[in-house]
Amino acid sequence: MSAAQPVIQPKMPKSWYKSNKPHLFCPGCGHGMVLKALGEAIDELGIQSKAVFGCDIGCSLLAWNFLDVDSTQTHHGRTTPVMVGIKRSRPELITIAYMGDGGGYAIGSQHTVNAAIRNEKITVILVNNTNYGMTGGQMAPTTLPGQITETTPFGRDPEETGYPTRGPEMVAAIASEGAYVARGTVANFRQLKGFIKKALENQIAGRGFSFVEALSVCPTNWRTNARDTWAFLEDKMTQYFPVGEFKVPQVKEE
Amino acid sequence: MNRGEKSKSISETQGTRIVEAYVGEYASGKSENAVNRALFLAQQGRKVVLVDLDMVEPCYTLRPLKDPLSQLGIEVIAWETKQLIGLGETGMILHPKVPRVLDRPGDIILDIGYGAGGARILNLVNGALTSPELCVLVVINVARPFTSTVEDIVEYIQGIGTVHALINNSHLGDDTDLDIIQLGVRLVTEAARKIGLPVEATVVEEKWQKEIGPVDCMGNPVRTIKRYMVDSFW
Amino acid sequence: MASVIEGEKKVFMTGNEVAAWAALAAGADIMFGYPITPQNEVMHYWTRLAPRYGRKFLQTEDEISAGFTTCGGLQAGCKAFTATAGPGNVLMQEPYGMAEAMRLPLLAIIQQRGGPSSGTVVYSQQEVTLTTYGGNGEGHRIVYSTASHQEIYDYVIKGFNVAWKYRFPTFVMGDGYQAKMRESMVMYDPAARGIELVPANPIIGLSGEIGVDRECVHLCNIYSLEEELYEVLQKMEADYQKMTPEVVEYDARFCEDAEIIVVSHGVVSRAGQDAVKILRAQGFPAGYFRPITLRPFPQEALRKAVENCKKVLVVESALNQLQRLVKENLYDVALEVDALAKPAVGIIADEIVARYKEFRK
Repeated sequence: MSAAQPVIQPKMPKSWYKSNKPHLFCPGCGHGMVLKALGEAIDELGIQSKAVFGCDIGCSLLAWNFLDVDSTQTHHGRTTPVMVGIKRSRPELITIAYMGDGGGYAIGSQHTVNAAIRNEKITVILVNNTNYGMTGGQMAPTTLPGQITETTPFGRDPEETGYPTRGPEMVAAIASEGAYVARGTVANFRQLKGFIKKALENQIAGRGFSFVEALSVCPTNWRTNARDTWAFLEDKMTQYFPVGEFKVPQVKEE
Repeated sequence: MNRGEKSKSISETQGTRIVEAYVGEYASGKSENAVNRALFLAQQGRKVVLVDLDMVEPCYTLRPLKDPLSQLGIEVIAWETKQLIGLGETGMILHPKVPRVLDRPGDIILDIGYGAGGARILNLVNGALTSPELCVLVVINVARPFTSTVEDIVEYIQGIGTVHALINNSHLGDDTDLDIIQLGVRLVTEAARKIGLPVEATVVEEKWQKEIGPVDCMGNPVRTIKRYMVDSFW
Repeated sequence: MASVIEGEKKVFMTGNEVAAWAALAAGADIMFGYPITPQNEVMHYWTRLAPRYGRKFLQTEDEISAGFTTCGGLQAGCKAFTATAGPGNVLMQEPYGMAEAMRLPLLAIIQQRGGPSSGTVVYSQQEVTLTTYGGNGEGHRIVYSTASHQEIYDYVIKGFNVAWKYRFPTFVMGDGYQAKMRESMVMYDPAARGIELVPANPIIGLSGEIGVDRECVHLCNIYSLEEELYEVLQKMEADYQKMTPEVVEYDARFCEDAEIIVVSHGVVSRAGQDAVKILRAQGFPAGYFRPITLRPFPQEALRKAVENCKKVLVVESALNQLQRLVKENLYDVALEVDALAKPAVGIIADEIVARYKEFRK
């Protein structure tokens, strides 16, 4: 036992919007970590004043005033086209589309697919927590086989509902040269932040579409304690969703 | 290739046949000119095949005119609306008789639609682009904003590909006056000279025939037409 | 940037081309679109013209995307617009909703086709209800119904200005006939006619350094509490009511002594006007009323027009869309209402004359 330690204030990125902290995400939610990685990446790249952050409907919506960055809410699944519209109109802006697995892989999947194919110079950050959190924990495109949700009360049956969407694998397969595609996890913060930073750098360099899926946790809807939450993320999810880079642009040495 | 070398009057072409493709900007009057030409040739007792090749925008097609033109002795190769029922977007389908249409006997008049591909659509007609018989005529209306100056007309024609002659079809629909016709004569003739192509004719509605005369002010022959396409909407 | 048209120019064009040229003259920066007949040539001509004048275009994956990319462009401060028809207009109700809610100056050119569903690709006036009141809101929109190519040109230019001035989504609604018809009209440089173009400005991606020159902006489009949204809607409605007398437009002729007033809009109003002239020449005291803005509807003007008349004959290429608006706006006026309603087909003056004579019996 050591002597009384000084209270340590959490170190917040400069590009975090301080007035709404503490934030509204559930205790143990992964969004805060993804947004910390994003905030630090924005700080390190010095793009706070020229970034535009768009957030989808779903838990990602709670991020609408999370950053001290120009931000807009959109509709469920429509953040990608709104960011495309901004980027096409004002290419000097750095546009970040922030969404969940439902927004990017279900209701807005056509936008993900076509933005990737057109190599839109935007950055998509998609948080995969294997369920629809905000509407009460229904099955998402990423729900694992056997996983219990409100709409798969007996566990997801792949015969009935197919297998989980592997987003980065799909995007890497359809995006052309210049795209950056990766999957990180909140279990490896340093790596996740690196992926997000590279994705933003890719947009700044004007190379192409950049897409990062972040494996995240949802203890509230998973009904898991800390140990089980982490075990699901690290043991179950990563079995299905391998972490790493799927497409990296060939960059000539300068 | 220059239309001048091939340009022959009808009497000179007895025994040989006429193969003409009418191209031009959207709403320039291609179909109107093709229909009038086909009727004129048919009235000379010639066998005429009129072919609808409008594949981009078939709202003013030859389709509704198929029956009346057939009754006047012209073979019309075009879909009939009733054949396309259930085809929603008005059936952008190539008629199966089109590819081998040059094998048919008689004069062939091809009505080519507008589109980014220009005269490349003639690739769909077997042998058309290599046929020594083919004359590609560009229909120009200087009241169309994309072909309203000499520079624009030259640029437009150079983008089409194979072209043999120009037709001045300048008008403003019901608001046509002598000024727009004469403006067309001057601009189209000047553009034609710049490219080194002849002006096949200045085309006017019958009611202007008297005022213009048989030859326009730049020496181009004047042809009169009737407006049939007004009745052919969709 | 050099003006698109020097002074004035008399031309012969189709309605869709006119719309593209008008958007160019109105200073539109970027078009987002998806192919659908009978609107395609708006895109065809925009894509031919845009590079000449440094403007942009994106063909999106569907109309939903075309609408939302337009919303993004508007937020970023560009004069963005789109064009659509029929089923595309249905899909675009979702992005129109965002434009309504966030007060984005969206401009859409609608060329109505037959419905429901895929209907026909040709013509109808069945998108009146959809364009005026589509979406899960209160129809805080401005809808112009044009009748000629000249009007397409005039109202596209006006539409951009009205949208950017009042910040309500604005629609210039034609139909398949107007889209494809050819007629002459005069294109002009708005400045040459003293029309000042309302400048565009961004609401996101603002200049200046956050924390030094300015605060960041957080644009909200979903509210936690019923009362919050109620307040927003109260303000929106108040703005809309305040705007109404400034934008509402109509054409009324021969109404003072009319026994029956023919009410029609869009391309059908051309037949309506011809019919009334024929009837007048035959000694029938017929009146003519045409709402140019379907939303806001010229309620006051219509109520004044019918003061001395006994009957109203609503003529439309739809079953009951203009009629519904007319009845709503004349709700407490003792009048007989009859209709010549022909969904999906055109209407000519003779038919209106015949119906008029039947109706007056």
